[in-house]
Amino acid sequence: MALQCSAPRIPIRVTSKIQISHQQVRHATLLRRPKRPYTFTQLVTLSDGSTFTHRTTSPAPVYKSTKDTRNTALWNPSSQKLLNVEADEAGRLRAFRERFGRGWDAGAMNTRDQETGEVKEGQEESQPQEDNLMDLISGYGFDAEEKGEAKGVREGKERSGKRTGGER
Amino acid sequence: MAASKVPSRLLPFSQKQKFVCLRCQWTTRRSASTYTIETDLSEDVVPDSSLLTPQPDQDIVTAWDPVQRSRNRKRQLPPSRYKFRPPRYYRGPLHPHQPPSPSSPNSRLFVPGPFSLPRLQQTYTSTLAPDLLSLLYTHHPPGTLPGPTGQRLRGWDNTSPYHKNRPLRGPRGRAVLPLMKRPITFRNIPRLEKIVVHHVIRSSDNRDSSYLHVAGMILQAVTNVRATVCKARHSIANFKMTKDVTAMAVKAELKGEDMYCFLSKVVDVVMPRIKEYKGVSGGSGDGSGNLAFGLQPSAVGMFPEVEVNYDMYPPKMIPSVDVMVCTTATNDRDARVLLSSMGIPFHGKHAN
Repeated sequence: MALQCSAPRIPIRVTSKIQISHQQVRHATLLRRPKRPYTFTQLVTLSDGSTFTHRTTSPAPVYKSTKDTRNTALWNPSSQKLLNVEADEAGRLRAFRERFGRGWDAGAMNTRDQETGEVKEGQEESQPQEDNLMDLISGYGFDAEEKGEAKGVREGKERSGKRTGGER
Repeated sequence: MAASKVPSRLLPFSQKQKFVCLRCQWTTRRSASTYTIETDLSEDVVPDSSLLTPQPDQDIVTAWDPVQRSRNRKRQLPPSRYKFRPPRYYRGPLHPHQPPSPSSPNSRLFVPGPFSLPRLQQTYTSTLAPDLLSLLYTHHPPGTLPGPTGQRLRGWDNTSPYHKNRPLRGPRGRAVLPLMKRPITFRNIPRLEKIVVHHVIRSSDNRDSSYLHVAGMILQAVTNVRATVCKARHSIANFKMTKDVTAMAVKAELKGEDMYCFLSKVVDVVMPRIKEYKGVSGGSGDGSGNLAFGLQPSAVGMFPEVEVNYDMYPPKMIPSVDVMVCTTATNDRDARVLLSSMGIPFHGKHAN
């Protein structure tokens, strides 16, 4: 405190006057009106029939979409209808496979055809599906490998030493 | 107030005395309030006041009848006589004719709207925001404190005597500080802030301005916002770029209603129609809650507005478009949760 008191006071000059230049300045900023495109109200009809309106520049009053989030597998991962299942009613694709390979698939196709033919109860229905899945998981790689159709990539295979586990 | 503006020499003596308060008279110390006005006023100040001007004559007062005058008028006044017209130019703060504020409908800068409450915005306020809060909320039981946060600016280990009084260092490996992580409460649920849609023109197309025009038209049609042209920020002779002259990109900034309309359009209509679409890359994002994705020219052609008159645009000039979604989330993870709740699919490894 004593040191502060003994220190010489620096006079603070307050300049509160508004600086007005004596030269004439004729700046003028043009206030441009913002450009806005004309927008219409459009009724969007999605593929499942649901509708909503939105503002758009398109003059068409109604937009009907054939492909949108309601019928795309990426947005409906659990939908069986949208899964990419091939229609093979005449059995020609199956016949082709039986003759030229992918024998594991032919069996699965057989069981699937039977399933679709007769409706079973929930408990019984889940059982063959599980079997099929287990087949896919366990049998697929080995079967194909034995036949020489697929490269062997096993779960237990050691990775190259460059990236050690547990990094990320 | 009025009395204080009148020079004291015009006032009677009794009033002059009133200015000095009793306490000041007793102490005989001159304070700022006891200065007489005459001493303060310099010669430049005109002593006359408008308050001292005499009243108008009685004849003028009786003759003044604006209602009767307007009734006597045969035809209506021209609009210029009674309508306010904002100035075309802003001539600085000291000009007497000031433009009204941009929020006033009289202003030339006024943008009306919003004209609708977009579906996505309604969904956000009614459904998404509460869901996001419950997803992102971190609960600390009363009496417990959140764990210690890591240091933002790195200190110095005092291994050397020269470390004393050194300022803290920035984060390792980058120049900018990452944003602070705030706990998510009902006040700061992540929401959309703005969307910037832009198209960078290839350097080979720079000579031909038609690419610029087509890209601008398509951007305007798609976003409902007039596109602006971005000029080069640096002069680079090798690329024949001149600063502030060469056009580099076209962009449109969307906020509010347009933003929600555009995003819902992209999600509902455009993205599902892209062939073999996996979703937005999970690694996108700048680390502070802003995600970006691109749309190929084939996808841009699938917007309903472009599709309506697709033949209008030269097929090879249809631009690919970058969409930058700015959110109020402070990290990419929250922003990704927000956008995926709005329907944008993400694929691949999620960064951050």
